[in-house]
Amino acid sequence: MSVSRREFLKGSAAAVALSMVGGPCLAAAAGKDDGVDKWVKGVCRYCGTGCGVLVGVKGDRAVAVKGDPNNHNAGLLCLKGSMLIPVIYTPDRITEPMIRKGGKSSPLEKVSWDEALEFAAKPFREAVAAAGPSAVAYYGSGQALTEESYLANKIWKAGFKTNNVDGNPRLCMASAVAGYITTFGKDEPMGTYDDIDAATCFFIIGSNTSEAHPILFRRIAQRKESSPDVKVIVADPRRTNTSRIADMHLSFIPGTDLALLNAMAYVIIAEELDNQRFYNRYVNFVDKEGKPTTFENYKAFLADYTPEKAAQITGLPAADIVKAAKIFAESSASLSLWCMGINQRVRGVWANNLIHNLHLITGQIGRPGASPLSLTGQPNACGGVRDTGSLAHLLPAGRVVANEKHRNEMEDYWGVPRGTIQPKMGLHTVALFEAMAKGDVKATFIHCTNPAHTLPNLNKLTKGLETAFVAQTECFMDAETLKYADVVFPAAFWCETEGVYGCTERRYAITEQAIKPLGNSRPVVQILMDFAAKAGVDPKLFPYKNAADIWEEWRTLSKGSPYDFYGMTRARLKKESGIKWPCPTETHPGTKLRYVRGEDPLVPADHPDRIFFYGRPDGKVNIFLRPYAPPFEPADRDYPFVLTTGRVIDHWHTATMTGQVPELRKAYPSAYVEINPEDAKKLQINNGDPVVLETRRDKMTFPARITDTCMPGLVFCPFFDKKLLVNKLFHDATDNASREPEYKICATKVYKQA
Amino acid sequence: MRINMKTTGLALALICIGIGGFFLYLDKAFPEVRCEAAHLAAPEGYEDCLSCHVKVTAQVTQDWQESKHGVMLVKCVVCHGEPDGKGSIPFAARPDQNMICSRCHDPAMQRMTAKFGGGMDCNTCHPRHQNPMHADAYQKTAASGKTSF
Repeated sequence: MSVSRREFLKGSAAAVALSMVGGPCLAAAAGKDDGVDKWVKGVCRYCGTGCGVLVGVKGDRAVAVKGDPNNHNAGLLCLKGSMLIPVIYTPDRITEPMIRKGGKSSPLEKVSWDEALEFAAKPFREAVAAAGPSAVAYYGSGQALTEESYLANKIWKAGFKTNNVDGNPRLCMASAVAGYITTFGKDEPMGTYDDIDAATCFFIIGSNTSEAHPILFRRIAQRKESSPDVKVIVADPRRTNTSRIADMHLSFIPGTDLALLNAMAYVIIAEELDNQRFYNRYVNFVDKEGKPTTFENYKAFLADYTPEKAAQITGLPAADIVKAAKIFAESSASLSLWCMGINQRVRGVWANNLIHNLHLITGQIGRPGASPLSLTGQPNACGGVRDTGSLAHLLPAGRVVANEKHRNEMEDYWGVPRGTIQPKMGLHTVALFEAMAKGDVKATFIHCTNPAHTLPNLNKLTKGLETAFVAQTECFMDAETLKYADVVFPAAFWCETEGVYGCTERRYAITEQAIKPLGNSRPVVQILMDFAAKAGVDPKLFPYKNAADIWEEWRTLSKGSPYDFYGMTRARLKKESGIKWPCPTETHPGTKLRYVRGEDPLVPADHPDRIFFYGRPDGKVNIFLRPYAPPFEPADRDYPFVLTTGRVIDHWHTATMTGQVPELRKAYPSAYVEINPEDAKKLQINNGDPVVLETRRDKMTFPARITDTCMPGLVFCPFFDKKLLVNKLFHDATDNASREPEYKICATKVYKQA
Repeated sequence: MRINMKTTGLALALICIGIGGFFLYLDKAFPEVRCEAAHLAAPEGYEDCLSCHVKVTAQVTQDWQESKHGVMLVKCVVCHGEPDGKGSIPFAARPDQNMICSRCHDPAMQRMTAKFGGGMDCNTCHPRHQNPMHADAYQKTAASGKTSF
């Protein structure tokens, strides 16, 4: 680039002048209150933190966004949330239905809604007629609205009569779900974000909270700032920005955290920091075979995880393990926070169980600040998918398809004959895309997600998208999956429609419609109903005028269940900035401490104990004896490095939204590979050099970023970049129980491109 | 009168030498880094502002890095916009508080307005880039090289 000094000086003068004049002028145009007709309440479109936002509307356009002062984020937004408006009006928006008339290789052509709906419905009708209900599927999203997921779940499970309903939450929090269910009997955390303000020890493991949940990180930092007695332990093979507020950073060898967690339990018991009164009253011990066992056997099991033995496995100093365990147990209130580093693992459920173990052995639970709180990646994975049961093995409000009583309850409620809902679990995500490639699933409806970018082992699993008929709702032309879509429905985006999001802390909050859907796009509940009617599903199943009707049905269904949010009427959601369930009545304020007498309305007021784990028949939760098990593909002689992936703060998932914002796009325009300086020196790699990552699946070239964020032996690539689809490098092995793939660990070669 | 002209001339000469010296320094100190050119036409893929500003406005960068905004990764563009003017936030060396600060700090701004009256500049009491975290919260444990691409 060559710019003469004169040009630069002229430009500088202009820039200075613009900065002096431009600010006030633009402020008048789109400023705080004077340029906005009204502020409409909503929830941020991005992460699982679920920050409240206010959308400023002027005329028929959204022109500004600011944090909702009444929601948990107290008016604050991260850089992504504060730049949401340009995403709505990007030229990249899809505003017309499109189809491929000549098969997958033909171009997408704009057509009418009727033509697109019929084009999509016909292959579904034919697939069901030819091969039965299991030949069709729905692949949803933790970003879809609750009403959309509930409706799709009903249409497929009770309408098409297939349990092939899964979605990207399978890739994200399925292990956390299975972890809560196996330990506590019921899904969803018992704590809330309020615990952050009361905790004196934060144990953050497998989470880059700073970049993935920035507003929560701010709240943790604020808590840390309030008192020097508050300790933060960050356990992560990467030294991310989250470690900036850490008292201890435990950089363990990737995949060895199960040994670390067991070793912490060992230290807690050896140092007599365990809470016998708590676990004698509330806990059952369960051995490797799932049979009841005793505390003594648990203690004997932990003998394999002395700090010295665990140090050999994890690469951590034994003294650090002891110190971390003591801080955890001795603090007045310890809060564990974890995310994909724990969940996206072939032993993700076990890792979740072992975190819960630490809380149960110490009694660090059921008090303000003491809780195992799983951070969720997407804004509506909890409320929309987990709670509505929109996964292959679930039914709404904690029911499962394998349980006849549960199926019958749902069949009766939905007004379909008993026997309609299939008893066999549907296909989980990886199995679904394999079945699509084999031709077993012939037509799939994909909503609000971008699997051609986010599935693991992409070269293998995108074959499913190449083979099966794909109907897709999408807002942005940038989505990789559009390459495979036979029909594209333009979905109304975010504040163009109305619906509920449920975030990490059991908080349901509504996004109200602020503006009309752009162009010819439509609300997805409308698209789903129109599509299903044409695809042969009985329209009596969905007699709804709008999303509010669906909410009413779902709210009523929750009444009396462990997910009871009957008190959250539409009107109340519009009035308040989020409410936490259980919330059985309209006057109930919502629940901060689940399972606790006097806090949780589902615990009888006269319950003899302060805590009642009503998720389990005997009221006792499980401490599991889960041994250390290595990752599916650890580094070896041929592939000596560990590759991991994750987010950067500037981008959300596949960047179809954040990529529309110039500031965010330019901050991270493309993926890179982080390499430790020691490794870089050995491999003679400098900053910016092209570096090849070669795994057993594929090889790709990334620019190098030399930084000690990664420990030696570990390299990291973010996954947002569609030009460098890093998921091609990963295997698709999944957790036995949760069926969540292990995105976080695979073996790779690293070398400088010749 | 003559003295005044002489003083003015001397002052002008000093200013010219100062400006010239600044650019000479830039040329010599960072022969391959032309931050000022990047401001005018930052190409896609140029990376973030810090890579230049850590060198040319080191104090500001350091202040930001140690501030709450730095710890929380509220990056330059969030308040200042893109220098090429093609961003979603208008580029401004001094961002307009009613438009920029209010997106996150509206509740605090309303409290301050109620307490001290309107028309105040946030910067008077909360100097930009200089709001470090207290206690031991800010540990110098950040990975090196995070911003040295």
